[in-house]
Amino acid sequence: MPFLKNILSSRSLSIVGLEKNTGKTVCLNYVLRRLHELGVSTAVTSIGVDGEQTDSVYATAKPEVTLYEGMYLITSERHYLQRRCVSEILDLSNQRTALGRLLTARILSSGKALISGAAATAILADQINHFKQQGIQLTVIDGALSRLSLASPTVTDSMILATGAAVSPNLQQLISKTRFVCRLIDLPEVEPAIRTALSQASSGLWALDSDGLAHDLNIPSVFMLSSANSDLFRYGTTLFASGAVSDRLLKILAAKEEIKQITLIVRDFTKFFVTPEVYNDFVRRGGSLMALRKSHLAAVTLNPTSPHGYALDSHTATQALSDALNLPVYDVMKIER
Amino acid sequence: MLRDKLQSDPGFQYIIDALNLISAAGRRALLDFPFLTTPEAVNAELDNLETVIGVVSVTDNLHTVSEIKHHLMCLHDSQGTVANLSQHSVINEVELFEVKNIAYTAAAVSRSAEPLGLKEIFSLPDLSDVFSLLDPDNTGLPHFYIYDSYHPDLPDIRKRLKQLQARTDDPEAATLYADLFAQHNDIQHSVETKLSQQLWASADCLALAVKRLAYIDLLFAKAGLASAWNFTRPQITPAKQPAEDPQAIKQSSNQAIKQSDTQAIKQSSNQAIKQSSNQAIKHSSNQTLKQSSNQAIKQSGNQAIKQSSNQAFTQYKGLFNPRLLHRNQEHRLRYQPIDITVHPGLCLITGANMAGKTVLLKTLGIAQLLTQFGMYVPAESATVSLVDDVIFCIGDEQNEMNGLSSFASEIIKISEVVQLSASQRLLILIDEPARTTNPVEGKAIVQALSDILISRDSFSLVTTHYSQLGVPCRRLRIAGFREDLVGAPLSPENINLFMDYSLVEDNSDTVPQEALRIATLLRCDETLIQKAQEHLTNQQ
Repeated sequence: MPFLKNILSSRSLSIVGLEKNTGKTVCLNYVLRRLHELGVSTAVTSIGVDGEQTDSVYATAKPEVTLYEGMYLITSERHYLQRRCVSEILDLSNQRTALGRLLTARILSSGKALISGAAATAILADQINHFKQQGIQLTVIDGALSRLSLASPTVTDSMILATGAAVSPNLQQLISKTRFVCRLIDLPEVEPAIRTALSQASSGLWALDSDGLAHDLNIPSVFMLSSANSDLFRYGTTLFASGAVSDRLLKILAAKEEIKQITLIVRDFTKFFVTPEVYNDFVRRGGSLMALRKSHLAAVTLNPTSPHGYALDSHTATQALSDALNLPVYDVMKIER
Repeated sequence: MLRDKLQSDPGFQYIIDALNLISAAGRRALLDFPFLTTPEAVNAELDNLETVIGVVSVTDNLHTVSEIKHHLMCLHDSQGTVANLSQHSVINEVELFEVKNIAYTAAAVSRSAEPLGLKEIFSLPDLSDVFSLLDPDNTGLPHFYIYDSYHPDLPDIRKRLKQLQARTDDPEAATLYADLFAQHNDIQHSVETKLSQQLWASADCLALAVKRLAYIDLLFAKAGLASAWNFTRPQITPAKQPAEDPQAIKQSSNQAIKQSDTQAIKQSSNQAIKQSSNQAIKHSSNQTLKQSSNQAIKQSGNQAIKQSSNQAFTQYKGLFNPRLLHRNQEHRLRYQPIDITVHPGLCLITGANMAGKTVLLKTLGIAQLLTQFGMYVPAESATVSLVDDVIFCIGDEQNEMNGLSSFASEIIKISEVVQLSASQRLLILIDEPARTTNPVEGKAIVQALSDILISRDSFSLVTTHYSQLGVPCRRLRIAGFREDLVGAPLSPENINLFMDYSLVEDNSDTVPQEALRIATLLRCDETLIQKAQEHLTNQQ
């Protein structure tokens, strides 16, 4: 029963993939089956539309999600009418997707369905909250494409990261790319006092002084920051980027004399839009990174087969990745069996 | 409909956006709400609103009101589903859920509203048969699926499906499952067809229920806003008499002006000469006599128009613009409500720059729209004459997409106003017409527009900076800039502290010339102001 115990303490779980065809749905099916066997009350939805019966990009067969009696489901009208299970409609939302309105249903008899939920993370967060209030123990969200945003700790408590040969057929590259994302996920979390101090910082770049007080640097967006900003450290060298962090910001900071004292706090790992090279350079020069909130990585799964036909050796790949990440890694095809 | 007027003015949209509608059906009812043009219709709407305001303001009713709102929150926008039933279409299980939801919500709202005793407003069709049909297991819940009890074969098929589903690794079971599920779907569809046919007869009742529920939502939203923002119920003047048709007005006004001309000149000449003695020192007494005589004509002409309009008027005391008021409150700035009475015919509004002329026009338009969409208005008290339409001609009408310049867009709009006002009573709000063209022709256009609007049955308010228009109409001037109000230095942020926004009757044909003074106080470039002053002196 790998990694299930890691998610049972959470109220929400996202399954995100580094690429398409990394085995998210297979992993989801495994998780749902185990949750059903353990008698955990569960709700399922997805972010956006990634529930075609055939993968729209590679035209490969896409497994449906198996839902079990008593589970709750949020999906679009069209996919609901195509389901192969008996279920009862509980509510119909006014929120529309390309596939119609979203509806909530309860599964009366196990079967399969395609899931296409809300595209916005804010709506997902509301839905998770609603299920919490209804006493549902765990809400599982199937990720779409390579969207990591729903794995933000502001949306879901825990995450499963799906990777595989679809990311790269070269094992070393696959390890390198996966390790980079895991490093971001694993950034140390700030102290609660700092989180409180920065709670008011809704946009732009901020600084923390030696007393832990937050100051707006009046730079509305980090994209407007230039190397000419000489008084960036007037309150200290601990900075907070409330929005996205780009290569540009890291490069500017890495070029500063104070780089060894700089600590850049980001909201969470989903705000990073940086390349490994720039990130590594920033860290190599002495810069530190922290997250306002850290994501709980419940598991890393690997799909050794790519949609293009080549396959990595399952044992070698999982072992090598596990060693590199210092985490257990599961072959998603094997755990489902 | 209200949706057509949403873009009229941002201030109007601001108010509409603030309506706390709970259901999608309520929002649709709002957007589809008609522009009411008869006193009976407006009063009936305002009566309902007053009743609901009365209900929501009683503390003991709050629980009941909250319960009703909770039920309304569960109402979906099921117009399409009801339309499908009306057209005798077969509806699917999602749509059947919607129908059950309508029946459930209607019953729940009726039940909750019972203690309020408002039978007329909360009168909803009895849909208990519809609910029973869609709740064969008597759950009493709004949830829905094709229940086992709808078809004798369903329980067995579902039982077998469950058994096959459990054999996940058996390929034969998968094939059997697929076949059986197809059979299951066929039965489901036959049930959907049968239920739809049974529901066709209830389509009208369902449509009525949705309409009424949406209306209740809308009334609660209007009531909530009126209470929260201190709006008041407008009194509606009686419908215009047949004699008031535009042609009759024009004739009687012209006649009244002609009749009063001679008398007015005689009466006012002596008085005018006395009043304008200072001016007479500078100019010849003949000229003064001529001017003051013209003024007398204007005054008497205006009065004649008022009299001939058979008491039609719109009057506000303490009128305010909610959007501006809230912005000022946010910035801790003062806000001065205004009192105004308008009559059919033309009223020219003058005043210094930044005196609030445009805001006045917009606020009048907003109050008229709110009244005729059955809402309370932002004022201490209001008496409103209904119009056939409200025409805003405010701001830059430039439409680059159509390749029209500011002037072209404006003059086309003005032309439409002229044509429409020939056959309808309108509230016409025109802000500084012809300001984007040369002042010579611009002034002539304003004069021509005034000549036409003065005799129309519409309520026309036109702001202008043009002097000496020579138009015999009423003039209101915004009192304007008063340095004595406060002693602080003037800035764009605090200029409203120096403004007196009240309206005064103005019998002169000149407009305030305070542009350079305000520019100076705003500490604009000294060279610019100095040179402008030199040019002004040279012209004089």
